[in-house]
Amino acid sequence: MNCKKIRRLLPLMMGPEIPHAKVAAVNAHLEKCPECRREYDAYVLSLEKTKEWLKEDSKDWEDREWQAVLQGAKKEKAPKASHLVPWPFKKIWAYALMAVCVVVLTLLVVRPSFIEEGTGAGERMLAQQEVISMTLVSQETGLKIVWFFNKNFELKEIEE
Amino acid sequence: MKNEYELVVDVLEGNQGSFEILLQPYRKGILNMAYRMTGNLEEAKEVCQETLIKIYRHLDKFKKEKSLKNWIYTITMNSTYDYLREKKKYKDLVEKQKSLPVDTGLDPEKKLVNKEIKEKIDTCLQTLSPKEKSVFLLRDGEGFSVKETSKILGCSSMSVRTHLSRARQKIRTQFEKIYPFRYGEVKQ
Repeated sequence: MNCKKIRRLLPLMMGPEIPHAKVAAVNAHLEKCPECRREYDAYVLSLEKTKEWLKEDSKDWEDREWQAVLQGAKKEKAPKASHLVPWPFKKIWAYALMAVCVVVLTLLVVRPSFIEEGTGAGERMLAQQEVISMTLVSQETGLKIVWFFNKNFELKEIEE
Repeated sequence: MKNEYELVVDVLEGNQGSFEILLQPYRKGILNMAYRMTGNLEEAKEVCQETLIKIYRHLDKFKKEKSLKNWIYTITMNSTYDYLREKKKYKDLVEKQKSLPVDTGLDPEKKLVNKEIKEKIDTCLQTLSPKEKSVFLLRDGEGFSVKETSKILGCSSMSVRTHLSRARQKIRTQFEKIYPFRYGEVKQ
């Protein structure tokens, strides 16, 4: 890596913000480049000093003030306990209830269509009919031939 | 000794004394965060008041698997941003930081030292945007990891790294104004 790339990485060298491989490459470069080294030292020093100043200038509450702020917060409407009080199985029960509902609905709505004898709707319809007819129409002549069957699909003779 | 979550449950069950115990470890941290962001102690206390109200009001929404510290800081940062937005302070934030004196009630000598330090901090932080400042304060000031910082601020880790890099660059430039000599010499 050249100096330009290294200097772009320098601000993030003070913590675990960049991967180890890059840190090693930057460190190797810093060993042999005094200009970049100085730049790195500048970052370290400015950061250390700023942290130090932040610590020195840190503020704290006077107890009286802190109590007043806490009391002010407590005057607000208290949060509802029911939302938080932990019930680990809450979700599981909700899912179980949903599953039961789905099963019951399935039994009530879908099942009756299968209760009837036979498996298909076509068969049921055929079973209910006394006479079944089948019509063939000739496309060339327009001649119609109609067959009539009984329940057992036996050809029924119709006397005219 | 109850853990944080047990204390939360305590508060929700009506034991208000637990609220104070719960917030005790963070009282200084949230005040300082708001103070650095607003640049004024009185305003910071206002922000904290709002923060505490929100924490109390929404305590039932806190989830056991989450970090209470992160949650409290998220609310603090949101309250601070709300405050700054409401007062339209983004634009004149730097000027305010410079002009507003802070009455700490200390003796004059200590006040002078504190003033010097505050001026140095202000010099370092004044060129930072609110986002850069919040990233820098959370990461370098409060010691949050990049991931935690990104969660608190609701942005990506990449964004945190970018802002952190820019913030450190700006601070390093400003630092040069305070100590205008070569760093090679400082180290010796």
